[in-house]
Amino acid sequence: MATLKEILTRRPVAATIRLTVPAGGARPAPPVGPALGQYRLNLMAFCKDFNARTQKYKPETPMSVTITAFKDNTFEFTVKSPSVTWYLKKAAGIESGSSRPGHVTASTVTLKHIYEIAKVKQSDPYCQYMPLESICKSIIGTAATMGIKVVKELD
Amino acid sequence: MSFFSLGHFFKRLPYKQLTRHQNLFTLIKQKPRTQSTTLSSVLIKVSACSSSSSSSPCTSLSSIYPPLAESPYLSVRICCQKLALDMFSEALLCFGASSTSVDEHDNDADENSDKIYIDSIFPECKDVDECILNAANSIGLKEIPCYEVKMGEQCNWIKKAQESFHPVEVTKGLWIVPEWSTPPDVQATNIILNPGLAFGTGEHATTKLCLLLLQSLIKGGELFLDYGTGSGILGIAAIKFGAAMSVGVDIDPQAIKSAHQNAALNNIGPKKMKLHLVPDRTFPASMNERVDGIVEDLSSHEIRGISETEKYDVVIANILLNPLLQLADHIVSYAKPGAVVGISGILSEQLPHIINRYSEFLEDILLSEMDDWTCVSGTKKRAKEDH
Repeated sequence: MATLKEILTRRPVAATIRLTVPAGGARPAPPVGPALGQYRLNLMAFCKDFNARTQKYKPETPMSVTITAFKDNTFEFTVKSPSVTWYLKKAAGIESGSSRPGHVTASTVTLKHIYEIAKVKQSDPYCQYMPLESICKSIIGTAATMGIKVVKELD
Repeated sequence: MSFFSLGHFFKRLPYKQLTRHQNLFTLIKQKPRTQSTTLSSVLIKVSACSSSSSSSPCTSLSSIYPPLAESPYLSVRICCQKLALDMFSEALLCFGASSTSVDEHDNDADENSDKIYIDSIFPECKDVDECILNAANSIGLKEIPCYEVKMGEQCNWIKKAQESFHPVEVTKGLWIVPEWSTPPDVQATNIILNPGLAFGTGEHATTKLCLLLLQSLIKGGELFLDYGTGSGILGIAAIKFGAAMSVGVDIDPQAIKSAHQNAALNNIGPKKMKLHLVPDRTFPASMNERVDGIVEDLSSHEIRGISETEKYDVVIANILLNPLLQLADHIVSYAKPGAVVGISGILSEQLPHIINRYSEFLEDILLSEMDDWTCVSGTKKRAKEDH
């Protein structure tokens, strides 16, 4: 889906780095420091850029970032919203999923939770063209693998 | 990269951390059902790199790097199938890795093999075996990938990150020069910096915008407040342009340390430039717990130092959107009526929020833009509507 111009001017990639950083909390210390410093990337620029772009999220939400480092020490990055499992755990109020999903229910969430999570996920760069209903279905599926039951309303 | 420059600002490390670095041990773990040839080649690579690194003088780290940056981490190099690469990296992150990186150039070395290396970083307390096992199981890998665990080398990444700093010309006649370089233009105004781990190296668009704003505002003899001083770069620049005194505040003790050192590097004494650590007043509570501990000591100091509101001729705050919005009253209260207040650290898309919030206090609002970042400046309204 890249334009011809983009392909022609594409810089050689040195590495692809994946990180989990709390929103608004990027600092030039581990884990960000060693991962990026290794490739001589400008830590300050990344921290400032990342913090500014994640201002709209609640502080300390773990965001997943994918950084493409180019050979000339420049970089680009994309920020994705936290994983569905993290949202479900927060919505259900539990620390970890059930140890025996399918047999033991860890907690419950309502359809409204699912809808809210789907809305947030739709603003992700990769889910923008998916219909909301299918995003909801995949979230319900993930909840099932974690042992979280979905109910219409909380009693 | 010469080691002399490193020795210049690296100071003696406390004994405890020194022993940890000198014992740069390598754990090699071998899982069954893996090819022995790949493992042995990996072993050779590991021993070669550990012997070279142990001879470096960076066994002592500078006192400007706080314990947080020196916190140990485990560096794990995992060999896995190319096909499973993406999923495995994601799974590793879910199960406790702090980061995973994949080098592109590894492909050239081994075109025929379908293996690729992932460099992963784990916090020291994590059980690496368990994480990798869980990650491999969760995506259904048939065999556990082979990997080795190393203690992370602190100075290595710090050194490499430092290497990326070069002298920067902000505008004609104004240069920011890292401590270990010589100024390209000796006649120009040169700000010598040791970037350390604080924000404000002069390369970022927002710093440049603020420096340009400062240059246009300072005529001589002003009192300047740098809210969120980071490395102290704006305060130092103000003195060099002719301000009478600069005051820098920050919530990060690391920043205050860096700023002190940078002021000394530019021969600016404590009379000309004062620095204060202030508690984080934003909600929710800041994650920097160290500040809470220091608050008791410094609260009296703060009251003495900077509770003088309406005292400063120029106030600049180059931080982030949320603190800027929450602390708007506080920041503007330091400026004299008619003084200029500059706000930066905001993306162009965040601009409407800032303008909405600050138009209550400021008039004659001007904007300057660079890349995707903006700087807003205005003069404080003279009539006190909110008192």
